[in-house]
Amino acid sequence: MRNNLRISRRTCLRGLGVALALPWMESKAWADPSKGAAYKPPVRLGFMYMPHGVIMERFWPADPASYLSSPPPILEPLRPVLDQCLLVKGISGVPIAPLNGAPHALELSTWLTATLPDTERRDVVNIAISADQVAANYVGGFTPLPSLELATMPQTHMEHQEGLNEAYYSHCSFRGPTQPMPAEINPRVVLKRLFQCREAGPAGAKTATASDALDRSMLDLVLGGARDLRGTLGAADQHKLDEYLDSVRSVERRIAAIQQRQIDAAKAKAGVRTGSRAFHDSAPIEIRIPEGDKRSEYMQVMCDLNVLAFQTDLTRVSTYIGSTPNGVSYPELGFADEHHSVTHHNYDPVKLDKVTKINAFNVAQFAYMVKRMASLKEGDGTLLDNCIMMWGSGLEDGNKHAREHLPFVIAGKGGGTLKTGRFLPDVKANQGDLLGTLLTCAGVPQDRPIGNATRPLTEMIAM
Amino acid sequence: MGRDPLPKRVPISRLLVPLICAAALCSSVARGAEGDANDDAQWARTRAEAMKAYKSQVAPFVSTYCGRCHAGNHRKGGVSFQTALKNPAGASFKLVWERAAGQIKTHNMPPDDEDDQPSDSERAAVVEWIAGIKRLSPKDPGLFVIRRLSKVEYGNTLHDLLGVDPQVARDLPDDVFGAGYTNTLSPMLMEQYLAVANEVLDRALAPPGAPPTAVQQRLFGDDPGTEADRKVAAQKIAESLARRAYRRPPSEAEVDLLVRVFDLAAGQGKTYPEALRLMLKAILVSPQFLFITPGPSDQAEEAHAAGNVVPLDDYQLASRLSYLLWATMPDAELSALADAGKLHEPDVLAGQARRMMADPRSQELFEGFGAQWLGLDKLVGKAFDPGKFPQMNRDLRAAMYDEARLFFDSILRENRSLTTFIDGDYTFLNGTLAPIYGMEGTVSGPAMRRVKLSDANRGGILTMPGVLATSSFPNRTSPVNRGVWVLEQILGEHIPPPPPNVPALDKQSEQSVATLTVRQRTEMHRANPVCANCHKVLDPIGFGLENFDAIGRWRDHDDSGGAIDATGELPGGKRFGTPRELKRIIAAHSDEFCRNLTGKLLAYALCRQLEGYDEVVADRLADATAGDGYRMQTLVVGVVTSYPFTHRRLASRGETAHAK
Repeated sequence: MRNNLRISRRTCLRGLGVALALPWMESKAWADPSKGAAYKPPVRLGFMYMPHGVIMERFWPADPASYLSSPPPILEPLRPVLDQCLLVKGISGVPIAPLNGAPHALELSTWLTATLPDTERRDVVNIAISADQVAANYVGGFTPLPSLELATMPQTHMEHQEGLNEAYYSHCSFRGPTQPMPAEINPRVVLKRLFQCREAGPAGAKTATASDALDRSMLDLVLGGARDLRGTLGAADQHKLDEYLDSVRSVERRIAAIQQRQIDAAKAKAGVRTGSRAFHDSAPIEIRIPEGDKRSEYMQVMCDLNVLAFQTDLTRVSTYIGSTPNGVSYPELGFADEHHSVTHHNYDPVKLDKVTKINAFNVAQFAYMVKRMASLKEGDGTLLDNCIMMWGSGLEDGNKHAREHLPFVIAGKGGGTLKTGRFLPDVKANQGDLLGTLLTCAGVPQDRPIGNATRPLTEMIAM
Repeated sequence: MGRDPLPKRVPISRLLVPLICAAALCSSVARGAEGDANDDAQWARTRAEAMKAYKSQVAPFVSTYCGRCHAGNHRKGGVSFQTALKNPAGASFKLVWERAAGQIKTHNMPPDDEDDQPSDSERAAVVEWIAGIKRLSPKDPGLFVIRRLSKVEYGNTLHDLLGVDPQVARDLPDDVFGAGYTNTLSPMLMEQYLAVANEVLDRALAPPGAPPTAVQQRLFGDDPGTEADRKVAAQKIAESLARRAYRRPPSEAEVDLLVRVFDLAAGQGKTYPEALRLMLKAILVSPQFLFITPGPSDQAEEAHAAGNVVPLDDYQLASRLSYLLWATMPDAELSALADAGKLHEPDVLAGQARRMMADPRSQELFEGFGAQWLGLDKLVGKAFDPGKFPQMNRDLRAAMYDEARLFFDSILRENRSLTTFIDGDYTFLNGTLAPIYGMEGTVSGPAMRRVKLSDANRGGILTMPGVLATSSFPNRTSPVNRGVWVLEQILGEHIPPPPPNVPALDKQSEQSVATLTVRQRTEMHRANPVCANCHKVLDPIGFGLENFDAIGRWRDHDDSGGAIDATGELPGGKRFGTPRELKRIIAAHSDEFCRNLTGKLLAYALCRQLEGYDEVVADRLADATAGDGYRMQTLVVGVVTSYPFTHRRLASRGETAHAK
């Protein structure tokens, strides 16, 4: 079993001109080996966002029969993997009255919460925990990172729509009702974060391990001090400090998970079986950080990082804001129009074509990611087989800000829980229903509905 | 305790000697007990008058004209006054009233098909009352919730503490500022704090075995040699490090904890410098460092606080002041005044504020506040059509940003009148920016310098290229955006968003509008009465600036080839024909402008949205500033000595910053 089919000891992460050591990548344990259970990779859950909706007639298939053979133009990039996708039409967004003047502040923030912000105190963030974070709370303990949040633009856009807090505009993940999760936009930083890359040989890695252990003990003491401080503070201050306590505990867990992997790696080297990962699984993919400013390359390297994080089981939950609702343009497509302004097309054919191109461009990046997942072997199938990747938008159509039939593509079989290769043309359900169903498929129990959810979408599930 | 001569955070040499000024007399400066009592009485009188006006005028107006759709069980459009009528001063109803005022003022409400229409004077009376709704608020400094340092503040503080380049924090996510200041903490950010702490310590301290760095020597001193002496030394070092890093004296328990971290490392066989390093790392990831927290002495006072309001302790005040004006930790002078318990004295506080404004580090007020106010923070990332504006490269954008920054700084540090923002006759240019002004013949080279402007169409922020560019589309001007910008950012008006289901404005094909000027196209708004209500005010202001293209160059014709028509008329019959005349009209509204800037600065200083009770304070501050020739430093001193800046209300049980 100690042969060249193992994950290679050093994986080159190119683009920076350096090879970065991944010291604890050698071994991974999907399942507790003591139970002797059959090898079953975990289900991973990913979300990818595009703002401003789609041109509906060019996004939805004409009918379930022609779905696979003649996909509409916007879905064309997905053609090779359509049999591994599921399209559900008829998912409505959260009605936003009385916040009618804030369609763009709410398209992203309601997307994974299926909840309207508190309308009484609009200046502070108060919404709901998002579906990805519900999942992270449950499965996040198994991996070094509970969840991964990616984006391609700073989340600092300020537009005071309806007096709502600016954070609503560019955040979709909320760790709790009052706590938006920042997303990382720099691929280099993501890489560093995923692998704590240290440019050091085995000796360097060893001291790093020891210092990690010391850090953990130090953080324990600091946490104790923070709890004492909390006791002396007023209620509002305590609330603020709780975010700190939660975050430090999360860092501690992460260090512990990394230590565990290092122990496993050492055992594997000594010939002790620590995990049930199949040896014919694909090796970790390479990451190449682009040097130019092409949007497609930027979006794709973030896709790659997402794939790598899932493939190496660094996390099982990811959220990728392909772009926030403001200010993106797509010079690669041959026009300078900003995404937002061109979606107010008033049925001008030139603008309709431009929006179609932007939609297809975004779907193509998603397709790039899921095709990559489909090319990687894992267990008896592919990585994609064990994923649930949801692509979509928080608006149906940017022209009129409609929210009746939000566009979604679900890719991946969710470890056999989803029946793909289908287009369900009329499901009559809401965003919360869809999110809740996907969580269930990912094995995440829910003690309360996601946002406005009312029922599980059994029509999506493989019986 | 000087600043380290290591990487300089402030690139400008210190040209100005700190000014030592006597405190300005300002109506809102903290006063003695007698003054407080008078103030309380005046506050109560104002409230009573406002309530009387509410009962006699506003409540009947709402019942008569709005009640059929927006009261009782009726919530047409999701709008109801039912609860606001019972508690008109409730914080959550502020927005309800403000929106109502907008609708009433623009004649959007009551709807035209409603028979019962209020007279213009009734409308005006209600709108005026709504503007004064703040007077119903009881006196209150508001909550001051512990606040995480922003990315910029964190980097600067690390620099001041350990001499590292503030850029060490550059990989942290940018913060979202604004009235609703987001300062949450997430696991990702915490990981990054730990990573930055490691990086900072690697840079500031010597690797194992190497001789200590200068910073290390200053912080840790010599190794006393024996284990017992080392422990004593570690305790002293913990005390002095924590005093600076926590920006207040640490409690005994806080010092003990740091010594335990030292023991932890020493117990695992770490050398003395390594154990101290871990202790310093613990400081850098502690909440006392990452947040601005009250000192332990404050707890005792809280128990005795009358009316649940306490003055900020001197340490908190020093931090609040320092992070406002310099975006970094208090310097030695501020810290010494806090230690001496003198900083809260109004004269001392005002004097410190003036000293700090005179220092080049006060440019942080532009970086943190001014750039956002002017929208210049968006300039770097804004898309421009490269075919049309190939010159909008990084250098030109940087020059535009610097122009605004230097202009703002000149008004602050030279203590000029706020009206200079509108009608200043000078600016700052370099060779990159000069062509935008058509002055490439007189200004060259990369250095920015002060330039006197002879063309009165230029000068001031209304016509500043960076401002004009941020409010434009990538390929053309937007008179509407410019109009909104002037009304909201200069005059402080609230522009309601377009109603939902705006009727299609440009159903016309691209061809039929291609020959029209932007002005002619924009004027089509006015054909629709729903749009015209707002656009008759917005658009003319934008038209008055149409002589400036999307990157701020003067032009006589727009892209359609049509001649620019910069004439317009504002409500009240004020006419203008050139940008210069428009500026003169806007400049005449100096009171509105001053009040608007006061509110924005106060909100920034308090890191929160203003409530009714803050608006009352802002009114007084603006009056005092106007009374002193609209001087910028008078405004800043007023803000930092104001009641809400120097006091805080303690949260009642169960109340949080996010309470519903």
